[in-house]
Amino acid sequence: MTLYGVNKVSHLLQADPEFRDLMTTDPAAAIADLPLSDEERTAILDADVAALYQMGAHTFLLSRIPRFLPGLISRDEYIDRMRSVLSPAERAELEEQSLEPGQAL
Amino acid sequence: MAEIVGAFAVGHAPNAPGDVARLGASSEYTPLFAGVSEHLEAVDPDVIVMFDTDHFATFFYDNLPTFAVGISDHTSGPGTDRWPGLPSYDNISVEESLARLVHKGGIEQGFDLAASLEFGVDHSIVVPLHFLNPGMRRPIVPVWINGIAPPIPRAKRCFDLGAMVQGVIETWPTDLRVAVVASGSISGDIGGPRARDHQPSAAADVAWMHQVLGRLSRGEVSELLNEATSERIAAAGNVSGELLNWIALLAVVGDHRPAFLEAQLDAGFAYAAWRFDG
Repeated sequence: MTLYGVNKVSHLLQADPEFRDLMTTDPAAAIADLPLSDEERTAILDADVAALYQMGAHTFLLSRIPRFLPGLISRDEYIDRMRSVLSPAERAELEEQSLEPGQAL
Repeated sequence: MAEIVGAFAVGHAPNAPGDVARLGASSEYTPLFAGVSEHLEAVDPDVIVMFDTDHFATFFYDNLPTFAVGISDHTSGPGTDRWPGLPSYDNISVEESLARLVHKGGIEQGFDLAASLEFGVDHSIVVPLHFLNPGMRRPIVPVWINGIAPPIPRAKRCFDLGAMVQGVIETWPTDLRVAVVASGSISGDIGGPRARDHQPSAAADVAWMHQVLGRLSRGEVSELLNEATSERIAAAGNVSGELLNWIALLAVVGDHRPAFLEAQLDAGFAYAAWRFDG
């Protein structure tokens, strides 16, 4: 599996405003012609970013999904779902870090 | 022949222009970009050559060069890579004659550069230019290094690419003054599982930041080339390969010590200026 189609969804969200609009109104139609496995297609439509991450999608590209489709998944939901891939120890370490003052991107 | 008058490096946080516009002197970005800009204005280049990592905007996996140069008389950006507060620039001049020489010189010296003759640029070029090239009055030459989509090139190869570009500039038959700029973070991870609350990015790899900044401040280039393996860079985050732009720049820096070197450790950004006028 190359993940090419998954990464291309993220690419088109930024590069192609018509694709972005169709992802908002009819996502299944928007991705109908992209080279995706059934598993990839389902994960995209469910905004299951943790599954897409575990399949090997590029995380920088995945971050475009909440950026351009906040209605499908908000930034905070994205973070919450991505953190589900961490072990309890990794998660505890991260939460400790988050208590420290952060800086904007 | 053209003269290289300085080397500069900055981060390219897409929120920085808006933050500086809104907060002025109290933005944390203000003294950092101003610190680099003051040195750049002092050496007053005519042309800016920029080492940059495109973020899947100019290039994508359908056609992804490891090294590329933009050859045109103009470009624009950030196109569809829009961020709140980031201005769009419709006409950024490109120094086409130098871009052609970089392409030709690269091929002749064994660097198989891709060339794009029609291209836009994303925030990673627009943000540095917004601060370092007011009014976009200086033409640029973009040289892209893939630091974002593994496999990324080796550090030594990027350093050698920088030396090749330096040689091409220094044999360019003109009296123009050239600045070389690197765009990029030292450590950054966008969109991964370690993103901080309410933010797209993870905390930077501070140990790596300290290690790299120490090497930069002391001019320990060969040590950095050995330490900056693709594995170490990957461990520092998914956009940490932008360090390769800094490494290409170090070939131009030579034995000079930085006149300015500051960092936002937690965010993974650094800002530097090397002046060649004394």
